[in-house]
Formats: sequence, C-alpha cells, structure tokens
Amino acid sequence: MALREILALGIGSAMLVSCGSSEQPPVEQIVVKEPGAADPSNSASGAAEAGAEAGADLIAAGKAAFAVCSACHAVEAGERSAIGPNLYGIVGRVAGSVEGYSYSAAMAGSGLTWDAAELDAFIANPSAKVPGTSMSAGAVSDPERRAAIIAYLTSLAPE
Amino acid sequence: MASGAGEELVNSWVKIGADNIITAIVPHCEMGQGVHSVLAQMLADELDADWANVRVMQAPTDGNYIVSDTARMFAAPFTLNAADWIEPTYDGLFTQIGRLADVLITGGSSSIRSTGQYQMRIAGAAARVMLKEAAAKAWDVPADEITTQDSTLTHAGSGKTAPYAEFAAAAAEQSMPSSPTLKTPDAYRLMGKSIPRSDIPAKVNGTAQFGIDAEPGGAQLAYAAIRRPLVAGTQILSMDASDAQTMPGVQQVLNMGDFAAIVADSYWQAQQALALLKTEFTEPESDILSTADQFARFTAALDDAGDTGGDEAASKGDAAAAFEEGAVQLEAEYKVPYLAHAPMEPINCTAHVTDGKCDIWTSTQVPLMARSAAAEAIGLSADDITVHHPFLGGAFGRRLSSEYVPMAARIAKATGYPVKMIWSREEDTQKSNYRPADIVRFKGALNKDGALASYASLFTQRHDPAEASVPSMYDIPNTQVRVAESELHLPFAAWRSVDHSQHGFFTESFIDEAAHAAGADPLAFRKSMLGKSPRHMAVLSKVAEMSGWGADGGSETTKGVAIVESFGTVVAQVAEVDMSKGSPRVTKVWAACDAGYVMNPDGFRNQIEGGIVFALSAALYGELDLADGAVVQSNFHDYKMVRINECPDIEVALINSGDVPIGGAGEPGVPPLAPAVTNAIFASTGKRLRELPIAKQFA
Repeated sequence: MALREILALGIGSAMLVSCGSSEQPPVEQIVVKEPGAADPSNSASGAAEAGAEAGADLIAAGKAAFAVCSACHAVEAGERSAIGPNLYGIVGRVAGSVEGYSYSAAMAGSGLTWDAAELDAFIANPSAKVPGTSMSAGAVSDPERRAAIIAYLTSLAPE
Repeated sequence: MASGAGEELVNSWVKIGADNIITAIVPHCEMGQGVHSVLAQMLADELDADWANVRVMQAPTDGNYIVSDTARMFAAPFTLNAADWIEPTYDGLFTQIGRLADVLITGGSSSIRSTGQYQMRIAGAAARVMLKEAAAKAWDVPADEITTQDSTLTHAGSGKTAPYAEFAAAAAEQSMPSSPTLKTPDAYRLMGKSIPRSDIPAKVNGTAQFGIDAEPGGAQLAYAAIRRPLVAGTQILSMDASDAQTMPGVQQVLNMGDFAAIVADSYWQAQQALALLKTEFTEPESDILSTADQFARFTAALDDAGDTGGDEAASKGDAAAAFEEGAVQLEAEYKVPYLAHAPMEPINCTAHVTDGKCDIWTSTQVPLMARSAAAEAIGLSADDITVHHPFLGGAFGRRLSSEYVPMAARIAKATGYPVKMIWSREEDTQKSNYRPADIVRFKGALNKDGALASYASLFTQRHDPAEASVPSMYDIPNTQVRVAESELHLPFAAWRSVDHSQHGFFTESFIDEAAHAAGADPLAFRKSMLGKSPRHMAVLSKVAEMSGWGADGGSETTKGVAIVESFGTVVAQVAEVDMSKGSPRVTKVWAACDAGYVMNPDGFRNQIEGGIVFALSAALYGELDLADGAVVQSNFHDYKMVRINECPDIEVALINSGDVPIGGAGEPGVPPLAPAVTNAIFASTGKRLRELPIAKQFA
C-alpha cells in the first residue's frame, strides 16, 4: 500500500473539491452525430478511404495482427523456438524443418512447402489442413487478416 | 441510508429483515480476495446469526461508511506497534480523519485484520447485545439470562423464544455498547472455519457484475476509447480527426488536453476510429528516456551517497566497522525492473452527468477518492456524485489509483449522455503506474565463526511499508539500511506487497549469499539468526519439515528457501526447481504461514497460492523497458503471465500462533517467492541471479 501517499492525496483532493477550481473541459470537441442517429452520409466512402489507407501498409497491419501469434511463435532470426516453431524465413520453407523444434508427427510428415496459399489454408483452419497438428489455437477466419499476416511472415526473411 | 422496506438497520453494519435474513454491510471492495464473505462470517459469528440466512451488501459510497481502522493503519506512525493503538471504537478521532481523507480503501492486506477485527466483529457483538436488551424488556427477564443461536433469542426459564427479526426494530432503539465483549477462539462457530465464499456461485454462473458490466438505464449508452500520450507527463499538442470522424458509429472526437477520446455507438467502433486518429504530443521534460538512463540515474544516486550518505532508515551497532573487521567480506549489487499490475478486467469507468449530478460505475479500491477526483474534474461537489462499485476483476494495487475516473466523468460531462470508457490493454500496460525499478548495494561480513556480523544496504526507492527493507527478524549485531532517493521516470504505484516485492528478493538473496559464503546450509544459517524471533523460527521449521529440506540427494531438482514477514504475516517458502532442461522450471512450492489467527483457512490458502502464482509471473517474466521515454511492452504477448502448464504444485501450511494482532493474507505470499526460486537456481547451477526477471537469463 502506498500508505502516506494515498492519505496525502485524499486530503489534497478533498481540499481541491471545496475550492472547485480545477475543472478540466475539452480543449477540442468535434460532434459528429447525436447518439442513436444514423452516421452522416459521407461516412461510408470515408470509411472506405480510411480502410484503403490503413490497408496500404499491409505488413504493418500483419505485424499488429501477429501480436496474438507471438505468444507462441518467435520471429527473430536465430531466436529459440517457444511453444510453436520460430517463423523467421517460413515462406518457402519445408514444413516441420526448424532445427530443435519438436513437431507433431502430422506436421513433420505433411510434405508441405509453405507458400502464401498453403499458409492461408493452414491459418484459416490448422487442424483441417494438417490433421493432428499441435497448433491447437490461432485459426484466423478473416481472409484480409490472414493476407496481412502472410505479408508480414513473407517479410521475415533475409534482405 | 442502507436499509429498505421491511428491514431494520440495527447499527451501521448490520440490518435484519422481516424474514430474519441478516445482512452484513461491508465497506471493503471485493476484488477476488473473498473479503466480502469473510467479513460477513466475522460479523455473523459475533451476532450468533444463522449463516444460511446471512447476506452481504456493499456499503454505499456516501461518505458515511469509511474504514476507520484502515485509516488508523494508514495514518499511524509506523514505529507504533499496532496493538498499542488499535482499540475498538465506533466514532473516534480516526473516523473523522477517515472522512476527511476519503479513506474507503481496500489494500494493505488490511480488511480482515482491521475492519474485520475492529469493526465487523464489534458491530455483530453490539447488535447481539442490543437484541438481547430489547427482548429482555419485552419479556421482563434479565438480559443475561437470554441466549442466542442461529438468529434466535431464547429465555430458557420462561420458555420464550423469538427470531431476531421480531426484536430488530426495538434493538435499534437500544443504546449501542461501545465495547461489547467479543468471543474468544474457543467460542467461535464460524470464524476459523473454511466456510465457502458467498461470491463464488455468481462468478461461476456468470451473473456476477463487475465494473465493466455497468449498464446505466435512462439513456442510450455510448462507448469511449481513449489514447494518452506515450510518455508520462506529456500532453496532446495537436489532434487531426479528419479520418477518424468519418468512421462508422463515431459520435464525438474529444481532445481533452491530457488524452484524446473517441465516443461511438459501440466500443469496437470507438477503437477502430481511434486507430485512425492522429495525435502529436509535447516533448518529454524528463531526460530519462531509456531503461539504461533510469538505471544510470539510480547508480549516480548510489555513487553520490557512497559509504555514508543518504537517509538512514535503520541502524544498529556499527556496520561499517564490523565490515572492516570481517573475516569474509561480501559485496553485491541487485536490481529489479518496473512492473505492471495487469489486472484481467481492463481499466474502465462509466459515467453519466446530468442536472448537476453525476453517477459513476467503476472497479476501484478507493471509491471515495474516486468520487473526490471526479468532483474536482467536473466542478461538482462530492455530495452530488454517486459511485457505484461492483466486483473488481483483479486490481493488485492498480485500482488504488483512480486517475481513470475523472477521465470518464469529463467525457460524460462533455457529451451530456452516459459513456462507458474502456482502456485497451496497451493503454494500461504502457500508460499506467508501476512497481518501481531499483538497484540495491549490499555490504556484509562474516566473523571468524561464519556468523553474519555486518549487514548494510543502500537503495533508492522507499515507499511503503517503511520496515520492508529492514531485516529486523534476524539477530545481526551490526546493521545499517540507507536510502539515496532517486527520480523515477514512470509514476509509482503500490503493487501487491509494495516495497516488500523487491526487498524480499534483495534481502533473502543476500542472506543466501552469506550462508553459502559461510559454507552453511541456507536454512540452518537463517535459523541461527532467529533466536529472538520464535514465530519466524517456527515457520521456517515448518517449511523445512513440509518440503523435506536437506533430503534431496540424487534428484534432478534443487530447493531454495526464503522467509519474509509482511503485513503482519510471516511466510517462509521453499521452491523446488528443475534445471535439467537448461532453463528453470519451478515444480513445487511449499509455504508455511503464521498470521496469528486465520479467519477462513481455505480463503487464506487461496490468497497465498494466488500470491505465489502472481509472484512467479513477475519473477520469471515481469519486466517493463523504456525506449524514447515510453514503455516498450504492450500486451500479454510481451508482458507474460505464467501459464497453467508452468504452475507449480503448491502446498500451504498455516500456523495459528495466536498471541499477536492477526496478519493479512493478500500480499504476504508474494515476497518470498522470487528469492526462494533464485536461491534454488543457485543451489543447482552455482549461478547467483542478481536481477529479475529470471527467464531471459537462460534464453
């Protein structure tokens, strides 16, 4: 407990309240619409433009989407595999070939070589693509999200 | 105030319904620690209530309910022994201090040992006396001939009997005894028993309401996503909402100066729009921009203090002279990183400002301070604000700070309609307040007999409790503890066990170094210094017995031990570590605890187990780095928690030594864990870990 700090803070606040002097209104307030109202008419095209802009950097979007995956997968060259294999250089690699990682028999014997199409199918539904894989989590149902992740994975390779 | 139709408030903390349902009104927040249930258990026992018909109610946040004994714990000088100044009282000086200071705090492992012992039990016992007085007058018999059991009054001589409900109204008219006789442990019927927690069924079936579940009626609720500057203390310089405001569902875009907010029809829409909001921030004023800068600042403060400077926090004998005379001299430097609390329920607050009044729904450990902070931010008086605070989805000290409450109040005032503000995980990981990083320098010396003759430490962070850095349980003839205060880049927060979280690791690692330097068994070495601390000695003996200390020959695992007293409870832990795969795997933790008396053994064990798992996450993985003045880590992928497959077996033993004011449960399980693990790693590898976290040192 922050014993003294908290007590001091509490007393300080109580005093400030009685002065009523430190109200903090917005510096800038943009009202787009009232609650319950329909979006302004331009919002659909605006969203599309914004979406295009956001999509312009597919690799960055993929990197952001990959945050979930990175709980299990390392991506730096030479970094030790964690719960899942290191994915540096995944695109073009033969499935089940990372040194020192203990693959499921299914993955080791899958005979796959990872290209964008194979990755797309696998990430969409890992256990359908490679029945018996130990990748029990991480299916990505959104095709755009998969495309972004694959763009990011493709970027993880020597220059 | 707190009673409704068909209910009688017998005193401030207990009401009795016409159906003989007894309601305990508890002032503390329920954040997973089980306190609602155990406080009710204490009140019900003193009241001789029928436990099957006892309910729990959160005390209203109207300023009438404060935890005055917690106030005293916070306000009293730390040199005072609690027993000297805590005595049962209803509305003494400390209640007034509490009101002034908004002390409705849940923290400091204090709820059971302060509010439970000195308010709930007294309230229950007083209500029982008042019920007996009322019945005695009606039946015209002496009050002391009336017995109570299971919410029923009985007078054996006349054969009269009545449920409490019958005399609830008359009892409230009786004068309230200020110091009713409390039960001794032999008379406890509920206290000391593992009564199942009353909050669990709702948490299992999903009906439990947390702050984030708030659904104020009356007007359609909008949602806010917010962005604060990446660097603590900076402000928004400019905002460009041209893309964000075209996104679906957006109602308002707000630049509040210290943060930006998008208010939208749904939280998802608010977040998506926030991602397109462009903001520029003012330049950081601090020149601490990286982790290296922060540690360099600490090092400079320690260098400046040298062998004699800084503030002396504790001193005995002549540590410097004893060091010079030592047969073996030891010097070591330890360091720990910043840590986040990372409670599972995201930071959130819902507010509605209308007609000069404000309603707030949030998860907080400090509802009255939250009320004052909101009042200040929107120019209302505290009396015009009602804080509703349901269950907390974890806090660990994070919710002792209520900076998010005025933020939501300001948004709601600007919009005029109710808004639920939710922080993203990234916002809370990167822009919160933190367990501070620190460096400690030790000097110690063994005499020719291998006993620790001198112990000196110097560090930069001193928050609370003040005694956390002082190894007072050990009989070391010469000790000196000094603090050379140094600036923190990130705001300070109390983090489960506060200063004990780092000093437990520091002290118990250095003591272990001394044991090995003396060629002694680390557990026996500690015992040799506990001659004047019989409670600690007994706890250490217990953990040795439980863990089979000293009998690990031939196994692939090694053991380490540590003992820390915090928040009135002595906890010793032995950690068993398997290094056979090259990196540490903690396979088992034994914990022996003496809290004086444990009110609910199962609840207490849960807290110790939770403390161990929480501490293991921090010890193995917990670390926040700084780059360009901002926190680098952002979410659970890079601020890791231990997973279920990494969770050790945990065995907890409780000792009721009884002759001390009782201790807390929420925090004391945390401090011994890290040093027990690193001491076990040393036993296996000979590698002394002088910094945390552990895992990266074996990557």
